[in-house]
Amino acid sequence: MAISRRPGRSRTVLIFLVLISLTFITLDFRGDGGGITGGLRHAMESFFSPVQSVTSGIVEPFGNAISGVTGYGDLEKENQILRDQVADLESRAAVGDDIRKALSDALALQDLTFVGDIATVSARVVSIPISNFEQAIELDKGSKESIEVGMPVVTSAGLVGRVVEVSSGRSRVQLISDSTSAVGVLLPTSNERGVAEGEGVNHDLLIDFIEPQVKVGAGEVVVTSGVGGGFPAGIPVGNVARSKAVPGDLQRWVTLELSADLGDLSMVKVLKWKPQR
Amino acid sequence: MEATTLTPSIRVPPMVLLVAALHTAVLPHFRLFDVSGDVLLLVAIAAGLISGPKRGAWVGFFAGLLADCFVRTPFGLSALTYCLVGYGVGSLKAGVLQMSWWLPGFIIFVASAVGVVAFVGMGTIMGQEHLWSWRLPTIAGVVALLNVAISPLVLRGMRWTISTSEPRVAK
Repeated sequence: MAISRRPGRSRTVLIFLVLISLTFITLDFRGDGGGITGGLRHAMESFFSPVQSVTSGIVEPFGNAISGVTGYGDLEKENQILRDQVADLESRAAVGDDIRKALSDALALQDLTFVGDIATVSARVVSIPISNFEQAIELDKGSKESIEVGMPVVTSAGLVGRVVEVSSGRSRVQLISDSTSAVGVLLPTSNERGVAEGEGVNHDLLIDFIEPQVKVGAGEVVVTSGVGGGFPAGIPVGNVARSKAVPGDLQRWVTLELSADLGDLSMVKVLKWKPQR
Repeated sequence: MEATTLTPSIRVPPMVLLVAALHTAVLPHFRLFDVSGDVLLLVAIAAGLISGPKRGAWVGFFAGLLADCFVRTPFGLSALTYCLVGYGVGSLKAGVLQMSWWLPGFIIFVASAVGVVAFVGMGTIMGQEHLWSWRLPTIAGVVALLNVAISPLVLRGMRWTISTSEPRVAK
């Protein structure tokens, strides 16, 4: 066992490293994520991405098996929910038509003729969230396929997130469940607009700015509103999970269950749509 | 060729590659309560435990820089946190006269939890308020637990990486 023989020198090293770290942090803030530190990040991601892809492919089945064991309670609950949904689907077919009609009307009212005409790029998810503090995935396509920062990412079920970093062959996507994510949403039935904010992994989104007197039913479909220009209007985001008016509160408390399963993403589509900001 | 004849500079690159693969592609798949272990923080702690505060700080700094490459928090935040943790563990270890069998595991558990909380604390001071959530105790606890679980492998790897052919002996 070797130990440091000169505590004074150790402290000098520590102070030096702390100063270097603070310099990096300052450079990162000043470069707004770009500059030297951004370049270093891109270089490291590009360097490690082949290792990531190969290793992920090998260990994913084992990880899924362990997740299945540790998340047995969740699976059971999920099974029950699915059984209930299957039982409900037939009886709710008519309601589904109404929602589609309401959605279609709302889109028509806003003259969102571009929905459905946006060019897309299919991409494979090569990295699931690494950090315990942020919800981000990595795609195997980048600027070579004309992907740019800000472009929305979807699955067939609905909105997944937006591109926040792009290199030539990779892009990083911030999921809408990330605690720093905010999406302008529309409740087509009431035509009420709000902002859905991420609450972290495995949590429903919270919708802000819904008036307390607005009637919001559980299961109601929620789509992007297009307000703020961050996303095109009309992309399904999820369904209302819970809604209640708390006496004295200036807004209704509404939570949103996501349409897309963010915990099980393999293929996504990037919409070639630039944020209107 | 015997492993001990390799210089640390030759041993570091494969270790970095292995640790980066563990961090980015292996551990994220093995989650407990949706939290994965932090092998780069563990590397800093292991370096402090094996080689004392100075090397703990250095290894923690570079492990943190590597961690910073894969997240969107300010670049240098993990480096700052991990070098302080590596130094702290090294100093603590240097002050301990005799190591019980359970002490390294206990130090790894506590240092991992402290490292996670310190990361969030310093991040919050730097304007990253989103890092704070009520899940923090769960995240810190699970990271600590998972790090203890993988520590035998990492400690062995770190001993091989940073040991020299003529080990220094504490005087």
